[in-house]
Amino acid sequence: MKRFKHYDACTLDEAVSLLKEFDGKANIIAGGTDIVGLFKDNVFAESPEALINIKTIPGLDYVQEEEDMLKIGPLALLEDLAHNKLLKSNYTALAEAARRTASPHIREMGTIGGNICQFSRCWYYRLPNNRFNCIRKGGKDCFAEEGENRYHSIFGNVKDCLAVHPSDTAPALIALEAKVKTTKRVIEMADFYQTEDAKKFSILDSDEILIEIQIPRPSESTKSKFEKFAIRKSIDFPIVNCASKVEFEGDKVKKANICLNAVFVTPYVPKKAEEYLEGKALELDTVETAAQLALQDAKPLSKNEYKIEIAKSLIKKTLLACK
Amino acid sequence: MSSKILTFTLNGETIRVVVEPTDMLADVLRDKLNLIGVKKGCGQGECGACTVIMNGDAVTSCIIPALKAEGAVVETIEGIGGPGKYHPLQESFMDLGAIQCGFCTPGMIMSAKALLDKNEQPTREEIREAISGNICRCTGYVKIEKAVSTAAEKIREGK
Repeated sequence: MKRFKHYDACTLDEAVSLLKEFDGKANIIAGGTDIVGLFKDNVFAESPEALINIKTIPGLDYVQEEEDMLKIGPLALLEDLAHNKLLKSNYTALAEAARRTASPHIREMGTIGGNICQFSRCWYYRLPNNRFNCIRKGGKDCFAEEGENRYHSIFGNVKDCLAVHPSDTAPALIALEAKVKTTKRVIEMADFYQTEDAKKFSILDSDEILIEIQIPRPSESTKSKFEKFAIRKSIDFPIVNCASKVEFEGDKVKKANICLNAVFVTPYVPKKAEEYLEGKALELDTVETAAQLALQDAKPLSKNEYKIEIAKSLIKKTLLACK
Repeated sequence: MSSKILTFTLNGETIRVVVEPTDMLADVLRDKLNLIGVKKGCGQGECGACTVIMNGDAVTSCIIPALKAEGAVVETIEGIGGPGKYHPLQESFMDLGAIQCGFCTPGMIMSAKALLDKNEQPTREEIREAISGNICRCTGYVKIEKAVSTAAEKIREGK
């Protein structure tokens, strides 16, 4: 592991000024369950010079409902969210997504902020000692295009990168129509991931920190659900995951939100399926059609066509569970 | 140059040790404090062999920068019991043959202890979930699960 400096920040201002000082060469660390692995494996050609620990900033791990909004601090632990009674009853998809992330050990360390800001799990990107200097790291090629791409995107590339986004909680937050507050702005969770700059995953600038997640309280007639398909039940990233939220008017769908992840470079919202469901009753044939519409634009690679069927079945399962 | 003094409570004693920012807690426990019951497996927090209890929770010490343990209360397998006075979990793992090669055992027991410290009467599902971050390649987990529930009974009876 290359040497780096370690700072314990006491306030957000201090953390931001340290980030500015290192001008893109420092990383924030909270639970560290993702970034420590990157450091240990020397994944980057140029490792960051410093880690700025924000776990030492007090009061950023809250989960509280205020008026019509649930506010979650970025340092809230995944394990705490998984077992939070309010989340389980009213924001079900998020509690379930947190519960299906990694293992209890990692959930006791890992934070919601870190989970949505995590780096790619693409095996070319992650291979130790930067053996594949891919597009995400300043190189010219995506090795998954002609290589082992069984876990990669089924909706094409972005700037030639085919790596999928691995978060379990991100699709739940997008389906729940969350907003993200940073030290610079408030933005829809659905717009939190960007595709312009291949070297980063979210919209966060190098001197910007996520400071709150805000979820509008779902109405009484709304239900949400998360499902994940992975090889192992514990300690595994999704092959595909899906969160759905359905608001009903009588027995008809007033509004449906669906978000898949691990199928594209960013979490993937199948708009056509969402629009199709409006005004319909959630029956087997309607969810079947919604799933077909959602995967209509899929362009699988040489080894991942199987993910289409998994994605369809997760969409159907989550929608029917909202009934 | 960038080394710092880390102060934390380890198995009931206050410890001060010089660490580098790149040192992981597992390395400090094993190499500087000679607690080799902390095993290093994957080095990525995925196998659970390095599990210790930090501030009451089971965590994988191989991916915790040691400096993050500043002020923390850490327990390792060496601190919970040993020859002469074993912890009920250690006893039942031995009595029920829940150990084969033994590499996963310290981590497995620490995960189980974190559970039993919070919940003396865990269900089968809760036991399974608590050890779901610990990989054992010898047993089929059945004896481990049984050993944890037997230890839970012993702990309850002992009170």
